[in-house]
Amino acid sequence: MYTSFNRSKWTPYLWLLPSIALIAIFVIYPIILVFKLSFSEISKSGVVGKFNGFQNYIDAVNLPAFKTVMLNTLIWVIAVVGLSTVIGFIIAMVLNQKFHGRKIARSILVLPWATSLVIQASVWNYIIKYEYGNLNDILLNLGVIKQAVNWRSSFQIEFIWECGVGIFVTIPFVTFCVLAGLQSVDDSLYEAAIMDGAGFWSKLKNVTLPMVRPSLTVSTVLNIIYVFNSFPIIYTMTKGAPANKTDTMITFLYMLSFYDRKKGPATALSVIGFLILCICAGIYMFGVMRKEEK
Amino acid sequence: MKKLIALLLAVVMVFALGSMTFAADDEIELDVIIAQYGPNTNEWFLGSGMDGTNFVDKFEAENPGIKLNLEVVSWNDLYTVVDTRITNNNAPDILNIDVFANYANDGLLMPVSDYCPEELYADFFPAFIEQSIIDDTVWAVPDLASARAMFYNVDILEEVGVEVPTTWAELEDVSQAIIDFYDGEIYPWGIDMTTDEGQAAFAYYTWGNGGGFVDVDGNWAVNSPENVEGINFALSLISNGYTNPNPATETRYDLQDMFAAGKMAMLIAPNQLPTYVADKGGEINMATAGIPANEGKTGSSVGVMDRIMAFKDDAAPDQAARNEAIGKFLTFFYAPENYVGWVSMEGFLPAVNSAVEALVASDPSFGAWLDVLATCQFYPAAKAEWDQVKQGVIKAEQSALTGADIQAELDALQAELGG
Repeated sequence: MYTSFNRSKWTPYLWLLPSIALIAIFVIYPIILVFKLSFSEISKSGVVGKFNGFQNYIDAVNLPAFKTVMLNTLIWVIAVVGLSTVIGFIIAMVLNQKFHGRKIARSILVLPWATSLVIQASVWNYIIKYEYGNLNDILLNLGVIKQAVNWRSSFQIEFIWECGVGIFVTIPFVTFCVLAGLQSVDDSLYEAAIMDGAGFWSKLKNVTLPMVRPSLTVSTVLNIIYVFNSFPIIYTMTKGAPANKTDTMITFLYMLSFYDRKKGPATALSVIGFLILCICAGIYMFGVMRKEEK
Repeated sequence: MKKLIALLLAVVMVFALGSMTFAADDEIELDVIIAQYGPNTNEWFLGSGMDGTNFVDKFEAENPGIKLNLEVVSWNDLYTVVDTRITNNNAPDILNIDVFANYANDGLLMPVSDYCPEELYADFFPAFIEQSIIDDTVWAVPDLASARAMFYNVDILEEVGVEVPTTWAELEDVSQAIIDFYDGEIYPWGIDMTTDEGQAAFAYYTWGNGGGFVDVDGNWAVNSPENVEGINFALSLISNGYTNPNPATETRYDLQDMFAAGKMAMLIAPNQLPTYVADKGGEINMATAGIPANEGKTGSSVGVMDRIMAFKDDAAPDQAARNEAIGKFLTFFYAPENYVGWVSMEGFLPAVNSAVEALVASDPSFGAWLDVLATCQFYPAAKAEWDQVKQGVIKAEQSALTGADIQAELDALQAELGG
């Protein structure tokens, strides 16, 4: 029995206080700080000067590499999120079937997810290396190729490799989200569908997809955020070289801040990135939730 | 009885606290950030790499009243760590890094004359001190240097039957001969135009053609005809297949690995290359020569120098005592019994005269490198726009690798620099 109305009203907030304090200190305060910095002059060594309006934003948008970087970011997010979702979905369907060694298959799938991205990217760097790369070694020994192939002969190909590694490391996350959704689907629904004469595609469209939509939504929204903000793969494999042609927004703004020492525009870019993510995630969540309500 | 014990405890605690604050008042704390040059740096400063003890313990034992909060930071994170600390008004007292101009121009540094004892100051190589002057003030002291030269695989050149190239034309001929002899299995030459060190490539090919980052008056001249010709020559080496295949992403460590594995015949590398190759288990019969230059031009060795600088701290209660403490730190660091071990540990070249004798005695090859060091050129790191130029020339090179016109790229950079 509560002793007073006030206590019952405030007790839950009291319990939430530590979490709120942590979020305020480590999430909200830095965000406010970055917003403030993005409207300030910042010297090359990082000394914060006076308020300078939207100058940092104007400088950022006028950078010669800005368009390339934005286009790369768009390709990177769509390719990695899109393909990893499709492939992850298919793998989840397979893993949801009963077969021998299913548990082992599931554990193997976690491995790329459990390894740090820097290590993954470094390992792939070695795999596709021209001189002593494992890929060339294996293909040469198998007799598939007669001469070592330069797997990184142009920046377009390097960017495709980076997207490939991005997809590879993202698949496990999608698979497990979808697998969790699939396991919650009641078998009786499929039985009913079969009774109604539904085939594979029909079952997929009318039973599976609607039932896993919530988990798919969560995995896609989180993925958009993770992939957009993903730094280690591109930084480890190319550092955006040649001349920012393989940069995405996150690696670009890091290099801009700490290599080019244009800290003002870099801060402005990070705010732009934050807003883009908020808008993308917002639209997506809004759209999906409205569909679910229908 | 309980009350008495409690009272006693309280009295003891008050005294303990009192004496602690007293000690803290009397003691000067220096935040020191040291760049990590190799696997031994950490051990030497903080572990047991200094004959069983370490720099911090030994320094504090010899200099009571000064406490060092010393941090060894990897080069990968160094700029991020320092800049973030500056933004948060928490700059270190002493910093070891390569650049200094931005810090000096922002008014963050103290002039060296404020804290460096005269005897020590006179010990530095004058040519090194000159590299850290802005507006007639010395803002940093050199901590060590390295020099670059051409290394070649003696066995490969002998097998092919060619002489060591000294000019660009000879370099092309030798490269073609190596390609023909080994059927393209061995790269004749190494080029690194990566984001890490593409500015070094710019220096090698422009200085070797009478150009460079600045003109004779010290003004930026990145788009001079000599520079364009020099970079075009480097690009032609790549397009003719004389070099490693991906110069935009293969760092000098990748090149050194290829050299250590016997896959590369010649490259420009720092004086530590023999140690590096030995550490990698490579057994390469190597020798050094001057960096090839264009016909009729003199090649110039490239010197790379790092620095130690001290930041202002207006909040320090006793400025004179703080300056003296920083001076003691430097005196201790450069004392031959400490400094010689430090420089030779990672295979660098010294920055003070007092270390030369001991170093040459321990390794005769040092003598030859010191001669190289005496004639080499340095990056114009004292100029405020150096970061912009460094990144600008790297981007220009990388754009040229993807087909852009180097003249147009360098013109654009020069225009950005206001000339």
